[in-house]
Parts: sequence; structure tokens; C-alpha cells
Amino acid sequence: MTDELGALTTIFTEFYYWITVVLMFLIHVGFCMYEVGASRYKHHQHTLMKNTMLIPLVTVTWFLFGWWIYWAFPTGPGLAPSIMNESAALITDESTFSAKWYVPTSDLMAVNLGDHISGVFWAAFLLFSWTAASIVSGAIIERITTFAFGILAIAIGSVFWTIDAAWGWHFDGWMLKILGYHDAYASGVIHAVAGGFALGVLAVLGPRIGKFSSSGEPRNIGPRNPWLVTIGLFLIYTGFWGFYAACNIPIFNLGPEYGMEGVTYFTATNIYVTPTTLSGITMNFLMSLSGGLLAGYVISRGDPFWTYSSGLAGIICASAGNDLYHPIQSMIIGMIGVVIAYKLHYWVERKFKIDDAVGAVAVHGYAGFAGLVICGFVLNGYPSSGYSVGAMWDGSNYAAINPLGMFIGALIMFVVLGFIPGWILAKVLHGMGKLRIPREVELAGLDYEIMEAAKEDEKSVASASR
Amino acid sequence: MATVTNWIEHLSAEKVQGAVYPGVGTEGILVLIAFVIWIGWTVISARQETEKLEKLARKRHGSNDWKNNVTDG
Repeated sequence: MTDELGALTTIFTEFYYWITVVLMFLIHVGFCMYEVGASRYKHHQHTLMKNTMLIPLVTVTWFLFGWWIYWAFPTGPGLAPSIMNESAALITDESTFSAKWYVPTSDLMAVNLGDHISGVFWAAFLLFSWTAASIVSGAIIERITTFAFGILAIAIGSVFWTIDAAWGWHFDGWMLKILGYHDAYASGVIHAVAGGFALGVLAVLGPRIGKFSSSGEPRNIGPRNPWLVTIGLFLIYTGFWGFYAACNIPIFNLGPEYGMEGVTYFTATNIYVTPTTLSGITMNFLMSLSGGLLAGYVISRGDPFWTYSSGLAGIICASAGNDLYHPIQSMIIGMIGVVIAYKLHYWVERKFKIDDAVGAVAVHGYAGFAGLVICGFVLNGYPSSGYSVGAMWDGSNYAAINPLGMFIGALIMFVVLGFIPGWILAKVLHGMGKLRIPREVELAGLDYEIMEAAKEDEKSVASASR
Repeated sequence: MATVTNWIEHLSAEKVQGAVYPGVGTEGILVLIAFVIWIGWTVISARQETEKLEKLARKRHGSNDWKNNVTDG
């Protein structure tokens, strides 16, 4: 970097993404606290370790193959040719944004003085991966083996969500081109897919012992430490700021990028390289959070657990279009998402005997799905991408945002890349006898031996005289 | 092993080499090691977990027995 302004822009962008990564770390801290708070005392430490160990497992596999998938799969493969090389094959050629540069043996996957962006961008996406896996983690507490969860976490965190990001987030993604898919802050790309995946796993895993009476009536197993749940959810809200910022490009000159002769237009953009402002999305974030909290408080009759979760569901539902919505639209959409998520949660619980311990499928899956569908109506007609005009392989335009395309996109996220892979993997693990802990252990508590040892230590210390 | 031994020479070269980590060119071996660590960890931890769960299951504790093990904090 020899040009001062260029260097400043590059290093600002590097630092910007680095800050988002630090903020997003709080999402994981929040998820850990939330899960431990929601679990029963005899399972606390196991619950914590399960969610903690997804960090190294997803990180290592994200380095080895997850990041490569994102850059290789935008074409499907076979669903729509790339605008870079006009081929529908995996993008592994010499083009600028090819997956070739992101294989783990690439010298760009390390300290490289010629590249200040790849590492922080890799990390920002990795934190999204942790979030996807952590969403699944909460739903299945107190009865899954750590081994099975590790496999499932890698599957959702380093494979399936990154495929959906390649399809529905990457500027060359086939869903943008064919369906007009638009999901600026990941209603579907993270939340619907992880919620659908969790539901698929839950369908095989089964409920916790005692969750349903012999007549099939669900029993409430409420959070054992509501204060930890509260702090956890506040931390998730806090980390979500970083998530929103990480989904933006902080500074971009759209004139030359769009091929507009002689035009200079610096702005922040969303991940699709269409203009938005950090200022505007901040308003929308807060208004959708508020809409979720307002609706959650009323619909749950002031239940703190659901009210906090509803704040999150409100943001998630409005996220697909929060780059463009009016703040009041964001608030209303957040409220609608919460009502749908809450009602569906209890209907599915009763009808299918699904024990989603923290309401993760509802908050992330149903609210995310609803958010995509609503976005198709409210943003109907907007360009789905900054590369929409004449950029296709045949010189035509990307599809504009539309209700049908967004509905199909929601199905792809929740069902095709979420529920079905989750169900199949859980079936395989179940077939191997590795999915669920033994019944005796579930009753005794996963932490029984740790607690027993701690009690023995306490006794020996208490009986000591010096 | 050192890729850079003199920063002035390195940065004033006509084309500055970006990769500056030790052992440039050995990335393939490093990736192989990472794969072995990942798979090895999975096998070892899975074995440990199975043993632990089987041992605890054999004891057949009741669902409230854990309360006897609550420490005074």
C-alpha cells in the first residue's frame, strides 16, 4: 500500500471487521450463559462444555473447508452461471473471487502483507458459523452426546449455512439471480437454516424425560437460573450489533463498481453491494427489537423468558429487509414475527411432541422464515443485488425482489438446507447409537460425577484442622 | 525457517512478498497436521465420553440423587 487514501480505506475496513468480530464474540458468551441458565442444575457443566467446544470444532473446519465452500458454491453448482466466468461449475478458476484463493494451503489464509481483508472477513463469517451452531445447541440440551453435537455443529456451522450463504448472500449467488432473494441481515441465511436444522435434529432426538405426560400434555421445564438467561440474552442483543455491522461493507465507491461513467458515490453498502447506511440500520435494529419486546410481553402475558426471546425474534424477523425498511415498518414486522413464532412453537410442541428447550426453532426458524416472506412483499420490486443490471451471463438483469422468490428462498433455507440435513444426520447418528445419552445418565444428571467429586473435596476440606 | 531476516530489504524489494510466516511452502504439511489433530481429537474425546456415560449409566442413580452432591458454594 503506497497511496495514503487507499491505505487508510483498507486499514479502516480491516479494523471495522475486526471490531465486529470482537462484538460478535459476545453472542457466543450470551448463548453459553443463556443455555446454562435454561438447563437444570444437574446438567449445567455439560451444557456449558457442549456449547464451548463448538468454538474450536467449527473454527478448525471453517479454516479447512468451510470458507472454501462459500467461494466455490455460488453457482449451485449447476444452477446458474457465474457472472465472473460464465460457467455454472464450482468457482475454482483464476478469477478474483475464486475459491482457489481460500483453500487452506493458500498463502492468503495467513499473515500476508498483500491482503488486509481476507482474514477479518473470514473471521466475521466464522462468527456467523458459531451462531448457527449455537442456535442448534440450545434446542437440544440435556440429552444429546457431545460427540453427536460436535458432528452436527460442524455440519451446520461449516457446511450447510455456508452453502446457503454462497447461494443467497454471495454477490454471484444463484438465488439472487433466479429468485430475487434478498436477506441483508440473515433472517434466512443464518436463522431460518439453523432453526430448521434444529427442528430436524429434535424430530429424531425426542423430548427430555418428563417433558410430556403420559397423555401427551407438555409440561413446563422452565429456566433454572432466570438471571443468567437475562444476562445471556442481553449479551446476544449486544453482539447482534456487531453482526449487523459485519453484514455491511463500510465504505465503497459505487460509481465505478456499477460501471457509471464519471460518477463517484461513496457509501456503506449491504452484502449485496446496494447502498444503505449504518445510521438507518441502527434505527431499524432498535425498532424491530422494540416491536419484538412489545409483542412478546403481551402475547406471553409478561413472561420474562419469552419477552426477552421475543426481542431477538423481532430483530430476526425484520433482518431480511432492515437495510431498506422504515423503522416503523421494522417494528411492525418484528411484532408479526413474534406472534407467528410464539403461536407456532406451542402448536408444534403439542402436535408433534417436539421439545425445543429454549424456543430456538421458534425464535430463529419460524421468525426467520416469516421475515423472508414478509420481505418479499414489502420490498417487492427492489433490485436484489448491486450487480443486477445487465450483469447476467446472457446480459439480462438479476431477478428483482418478489414474494414468490422470497417464499421459495425461505423454503430452501428452512427445509432444504436446514430441516432435511439435520434430520438425516440425526438419523445416522441415532442408527450408530451415538445421538442420545443413556436414559440412566439423563435421570442422574450429566454432571453427577463432577458434582460427586466436588462434594468429596468439600468434605475433606471441611474435616481438615490445618 | 525464517522467511524474513531483514525488513528493510524485504519491504524495499521491487515486488514485496506478502506471505511472511515461517516455512512458506510447507502449507500442505501444516494442513495435513491440522486434519490429523481434528480427527484424532474427535476419536479420543468420543471414546472418553462413551466410557464416562457407560460408567455413570451402570450406577443407576435416581433423578434426585444429585441433590446429595450440592456443595455449600
